[in-house]
Amino acid sequence: MNIIPCSIKTLKGLYDISGVEVGQHFYWQIGGFQIHAQVLITSWVVITILLGSVIIAVRNPQTIPTDGQNFFEYVLEFIRDLSKTQIGEEYGPWVPFIGTMFLFIFVSNWSGALLPWKIIQLPHGELAAPTNDINTTVALALLTSAAYFYAGLSKKGLSYFEKYIKPTPILLPINILEDFTKPLSLSFRLFGNILADELVVVVLVSLVPLVVPIPVMFLGLFTSGIQALIFATLAAAYIGESMEGHH
Amino acid sequence: MATAMMAAATTSCSPRRAPAVLRPVASSSAQPPRRRQQPRGLKQLPGLVATAAAAAVAAAPLPALAEQMEKAALFDFNLTLPAIAIEFLLLMVALDKLYFTPLGKFMDERDAKIRAELGDVKDASEEVRQLEEQAAAVMKAARAEIAAALNKMKKETTQELEAKLDEGRRRVEAELVEALANLEAQKEEAVKALDAQIASLSDEIVKKVLPSA
Repeated sequence: MNIIPCSIKTLKGLYDISGVEVGQHFYWQIGGFQIHAQVLITSWVVITILLGSVIIAVRNPQTIPTDGQNFFEYVLEFIRDLSKTQIGEEYGPWVPFIGTMFLFIFVSNWSGALLPWKIIQLPHGELAAPTNDINTTVALALLTSAAYFYAGLSKKGLSYFEKYIKPTPILLPINILEDFTKPLSLSFRLFGNILADELVVVVLVSLVPLVVPIPVMFLGLFTSGIQALIFATLAAAYIGESMEGHH
Repeated sequence: MATAMMAAATTSCSPRRAPAVLRPVASSSAQPPRRRQQPRGLKQLPGLVATAAAAAVAAAPLPALAEQMEKAALFDFNLTLPAIAIEFLLLMVALDKLYFTPLGKFMDERDAKIRAELGDVKDASEEVRQLEEQAAAVMKAARAEIAAALNKMKKETTQELEAKLDEGRRRVEAELVEALANLEAQKEEAVKALDAQIASLSDEIVKKVLPSA
């Protein structure tokens, strides 16, 4: 009978490290508005990681690239390729948007899986991937919507809105609905995947603390990368769609 | 389901620990007591009913979990949304200034340079080809010149030889003609001399044969 409380004690210890507190937030008050501090803190960490690694790797580019520069050149080529495939020849101005979208989501997702946020205790709630919060994903999705509207309007002017009555005016409601479903699906896909991934890992860890969750964690890393890629690709696809000319 | 099993397990061995174990998943102190009562009530039931109710134990925490989910502010929109949007835009500007534009420009320039160098190499090969052609032309001209000189020399030599040959032939012919002429002259002289002898001989023969007639 002594063994069970003992094992429960170790289990509790593992829980405290691995647990997720679903929907619990650490609030800050800013000018009468509430803000999720844990999301802000982790996003600052993510931004610091991104900017820091970029500055270190790219501050003095060499003609024959070395390790860090090589990696970032590869990433840039990847992003350019992605934008070019989705947007077409006029992809140039959209590379920063698509690239930042991809890198921010990717690093956010992986930070949730790889960084031991649990070491830092918050008074309430816990630190996790920024994309674990619906606010982040909706913000990114709304920015994507704004981006594709801007892309369409700047390319075609007011005739951009002709796409709502194409191919027939009967589809007008569906076309308008699309503008709402796009950000909705973007944000909920990302949010759901990341949250579900972390929850699955936590539940598995709670059942079998050792070894068994490892494949799921790797699956989580894979999902995180795929979700970042999907978000960036879809954003680029929406922008390309609103820019392409119907003749 | 996982929380339900854990709750059952913890209540049976060490109820004191149950809230702490539940905390990470649920993080609500109000819920555990109510759920703890449920298994305890079930234990008093007869065995048959207990096994029948095992499914209920598993199913019962689901509404409780749903209740917690309602409490959990999953869809809690607030100032975080615009804050993240602004952060993202700032990050985009920063990354554009630090990463996308400079490195992209650098890569494009390097690309253009490599292309230009490759083009130069192609031009150089064109030059080499021209030089080779020139060399071939020079060689051809030299060969032609040599052949012409050789021909000329051959012709001259032949002419000279022929001239000498002609001269020799002519001289030989002339000498031949002279020699033949000499021979003829001697022959005629000899014939004349013979004629005179023949006449004298015949006179003598006649004198001898015809005695002083």
